[in-house]
Amino acid sequence: MTDPARNAEITAHLRAALAAISHADDASLKAELGAIVQWQEQPLMQGLAKLSQSLGEALGELPAVDAAVGELPDACARLDHVVAMTEQATNRTLDLVEDSQKLMERLLVPGDDHEALLRALRSNLSEMALAQSYQDLTGQIIKKVAGIVRGVHDQLTAMGLPPTGGTARRKDEDPLAGSGPAIAGVDKPATSQSDADDLLSDLGL
Amino acid sequence: MRILVVDDFSTMRRIVKNLLADLGFTNTAEAEDGAAAFAILKQGGFDFVVTDWNMPGTTGIELLKMIRADDKLKTLPVLMVTAESKREQIIEAAQAGVNGYIIKPFTAATLKEKLDKIFERLGSAA
Repeated sequence: MTDPARNAEITAHLRAALAAISHADDASLKAELGAIVQWQEQPLMQGLAKLSQSLGEALGELPAVDAAVGELPDACARLDHVVAMTEQATNRTLDLVEDSQKLMERLLVPGDDHEALLRALRSNLSEMALAQSYQDLTGQIIKKVAGIVRGVHDQLTAMGLPPTGGTARRKDEDPLAGSGPAIAGVDKPATSQSDADDLLSDLGL
Repeated sequence: MRILVVDDFSTMRRIVKNLLADLGFTNTAEAEDGAAAFAILKQGGFDFVVTDWNMPGTTGIELLKMIRADDKLKTLPVLMVTAESKREQIIEAAQAGVNGYIIKPFTAATLKEKLDKIFERLGSAA
């Protein structure tokens, strides 16, 4: 800051700025002021660089994040694939069901080729069975993703970041917010249809 | 009888439409969330709504409240078909004026039973 060269430089910028004002030269004034601002910001920038360097060093000293964490985006892509596969299999099965319903209508028509209709129905049934093979594939993918999630959980625990208890979080949860199907052993027990019916009839429905 | 089926999963809409067709209700239309459903209902011509609860955007419970708050639509029967099964949710739906509540997964027999019950009540009220 007390560097004479620097002082001379800033004085020159200030003089030039004054000259620009007296000549009403806006462009030059802006350029000179810009140079002064830049000069003032330099220590700040140097400080930031230092801070980011020490942050980097501090982060480097943290326990290395396991590959499992890096696999999270991959896990999401796998689950998206499961959604797509199950949707495809369901649509395939529904196509076959709808086609079979039409074939069955025709069975009621006397004189239609019943043997051919039955052959078509038999083929639809085996196609439907085949469409269920998605379960094997999606099952494998889901098991793999569960493994990744477990790995991340273990890693977080090892880093001393135990996830806050699920029960604490669930207390704050809005009981009216949609949360999808209740899972036995994880969520509060689901209300059965007959419990729901009883509750609704108590409420006058 | 024209029925609007509201669910964010196209496969579930298809399954419900198939079951309804089996019960003789072949005049159906679909919407993928509450906002889309409400826009369709506002155009008129529907006699019944079957809706899911948990959908991105406008949910089924919000749709139910929008229907009950609308002068033209407020008497439209609404059947909730949902995986949401907390007591609080069932009570909320009842208080909002739902006509029936089916918890997924459900059977064709349950759907028929609830529809029959709703029509019976509507018939005796009319």
